[in-house]
Amino acid sequence: MLNLRKKSGRAALFAAALMLVSAGWETSADAKSLTIGLTSDAVNLDPQAGEELSSNILFYHIYDPLVRRNADLSFGPGLAESWELTDDTTWVFKLRQGVKFHNGEEFKASDVVFTLDRLKKSLMANLGANISEFRAVDDYTVEIKTPRPYAVLPNDLAAVLILSEKYAKEVGDEQLDLKPIGTGPYKLTEWVKEDHLKLTANADYFAGAPVIDDVTFRPITNGATRTAALLTGEVDVIQDLNVRDVDRVKADDRYNVLSQPSLLNIVLSLDMREKSPTIALDKNPLTDQRVREAMVRAIDINAIKTVIMNGLSTPSEQYVPSSHTGYVEGMSFRDLYPYDVKKAAELMEAAGYKDGFTLTLDTTNNRYVNDAQIAQALASMFAKVKIDLKLNLMPKSNFFGYIRVPSDKSSMIMSGWDVPSGDAGSMYSVMFYSRGKKEGYGQVNRGSYSNPEVDALIDKADATSKLDERDGYLQDVTKILMKDIPMIPVHYEQDLYAAKKSVKLTPRADKFLWAYEIDVAE
Amino acid sequence: MLGYTLKRLLQMVLVLWAVSVIVFLMMSFTGDPVFMVIPIDSTAAEIEQARRLLGLDQSIFNQYWYFIGNLLQGDFGRSYVFRQPALDLILERLPATMEMVLVAITMATVIAIPLGVYAGANPNRASSRSIMAGSLIGISLPGFWVGMMLIFIFSVRYQLLPSSGRGDTIEVLGVRLSILTADGWAHILLPSITLALATLAIILRITRAGMMEVTRQDYMKFARAKGASRRHILFAHGLKNALIPVVTIFGLQLGDLIAFATITETIFAWPGTGKLLIDSIYRGDRPVIVVYLMLTAFIFVVINFLVDIVYTLIDPRITVR
Repeated sequence: MLNLRKKSGRAALFAAALMLVSAGWETSADAKSLTIGLTSDAVNLDPQAGEELSSNILFYHIYDPLVRRNADLSFGPGLAESWELTDDTTWVFKLRQGVKFHNGEEFKASDVVFTLDRLKKSLMANLGANISEFRAVDDYTVEIKTPRPYAVLPNDLAAVLILSEKYAKEVGDEQLDLKPIGTGPYKLTEWVKEDHLKLTANADYFAGAPVIDDVTFRPITNGATRTAALLTGEVDVIQDLNVRDVDRVKADDRYNVLSQPSLLNIVLSLDMREKSPTIALDKNPLTDQRVREAMVRAIDINAIKTVIMNGLSTPSEQYVPSSHTGYVEGMSFRDLYPYDVKKAAELMEAAGYKDGFTLTLDTTNNRYVNDAQIAQALASMFAKVKIDLKLNLMPKSNFFGYIRVPSDKSSMIMSGWDVPSGDAGSMYSVMFYSRGKKEGYGQVNRGSYSNPEVDALIDKADATSKLDERDGYLQDVTKILMKDIPMIPVHYEQDLYAAKKSVKLTPRADKFLWAYEIDVAE
Repeated sequence: MLGYTLKRLLQMVLVLWAVSVIVFLMMSFTGDPVFMVIPIDSTAAEIEQARRLLGLDQSIFNQYWYFIGNLLQGDFGRSYVFRQPALDLILERLPATMEMVLVAITMATVIAIPLGVYAGANPNRASSRSIMAGSLIGISLPGFWVGMMLIFIFSVRYQLLPSSGRGDTIEVLGVRLSILTADGWAHILLPSITLALATLAIILRITRAGMMEVTRQDYMKFARAKGASRRHILFAHGLKNALIPVVTIFGLQLGDLIAFATITETIFAWPGTGKLLIDSIYRGDRPVIVVYLMLTAFIFVVINFLVDIVYTLIDPRITVR
């Protein structure tokens, strides 16, 4: 026991010394460093190996896309300096010259062609769904054709990160996963899985060398531990600050709490078929607009915000945030159908469901912030209008298989949906287009909603190569949907960060922590 | 002895085979891993493509058949998510877990056995009672709470020890070890203490019970009558006989800690295998889960074998057959 104490004492002294040393480094003028606590580690560093947010954050440090999505979700040049439409379906991208991969290789059009080709055969094939042909015109020009006019191709390309053809072929997938090479602002120097990932600045970065020279990412899954690591000075910034730690961190004047409404819209999809699997009535009451309206009015969104979300949510106005195409200015579910239990009960009575009905809500219990509690709150709110909501909660690994279309086991589903492309059309076409009518459309239309008018407008939006025309059609869709209510939007979660006061960080709307945009005070 | 070893080897193969079948069957009932790795709005064709890429387009029997076939050639399958060989993923993280577990179990044993002997030899002393009361607390406190408390007190409040991670490591024969650096020790202490607590309490209680049992035996009184010192009798005669159940428990606990250090690893962001298991279950990453559980079964079988050998060393009357 005595021996042990001695050891821990020594270790403590050493740890303290180490902290002093690292503090010294931070304040020195010539090398700035930053340590970021993430919720999880990257699984691998091949951007085409699957969908994972934590990996995504790291990808953008190492790789660049042709088109860059800015912090406010607008789009700007990345590896492509400019692009133009030469006819309705042909895009020509002019590439930046003199850009080098981390291994010194020059970036050329052939790398783009290689990347797109590989993408089409990968798990992320959906990103290339709207690309039919592509070729290198010369070393710095790439021509991409879409199967139909597609005004938002650049949005899609912002998610496609460019690999080095030579390197990828040389090392193979397995090495690429571990030792990636890109054109990005940072180079990977060391990756000890689940412990830390170190990056160092790419001095030759085409947009200028990063301000911060060394960045370390540390995966700390447990929220309380993440907060502790910040409070002990082990990390400078943490992602996903625990809701219950917000006040604790705010009270300490050494730290800032930063928040940003997330793009993830929590929504309730309603089954619109004549007969619904969990409703024991001959006719599905959810097909009646009055019932759906009653449901919206029965939800006390402010109670959910204050009681369940601790104030940290933004009630959704529409299906997409205001920054997106298809958003209609000055229109909101909360104004159209404000919380009003009395009115809701009247609507139920008018629709012939005075005595209510029973149905089941399927959702996760480990995917969205407080998902299970929200489901319980909905059950008690709907009870006031005699809708008896049974809950079917499950872990996300089961959920996404359970609700997949066309399994059709659900009457009502709560899930989250974000539209990182900034374009409502990418959501509307898969979620609200009639199912089975057109390949690539309506594949996640979980409520089997079908409205020819909506289909026609989406067709029109997808037939134009002009962005403002597309926006107009999609806004019309939004208006129809908000009248029809095939889906009830609930709220956007809040992305929370905590950082030392010295860290200058503005959270991005897309939840990407990008060290290139961060600075630390001298 | 040779026959016995062969018998145990055969048993081991059977156990591993059973585990592989059970895990494979169970996995086919849980969620579809495809939906964990592809974007949610993928079309049917894209889902099919992904299924093909992951080998999930085959029936579960075929999948199992390939798995066993590859296994016999030394290929344990590839993670869907990491795309690396499943065994490599586990072995890469195993040193971190082993290190933490060994520090923990050493701590637990070194503290528990002397205290247990003391409490067993002097059951009525106030100090013994408080040791026993303390051990009850050790058993009943949940690990995650203890971990959080240790972080709160030693990291946040007094800033003595780091809260998470593994710290500096030194590579020895390709294996990263943190117990060779002072910083590594600073990092390993809190998680090891958290992990050690319950084991410490259990070993302590078993040692005490064994000691109380043997102190009543005639040979103990006889030895005392012969004039041997009390200390000598307790440790040379008493402890040796009280140790058999302790060794059993030690073996079980060791296996347990290696296999399921998950909670401690999560709390302290310790880059070990436990977290890998949880993440893999979360992502439906079947190959990793199967190999992990088989490795765990393997570890248990080996430990049990070693425990049986240790029995014979402690008590020559026990022979392995």
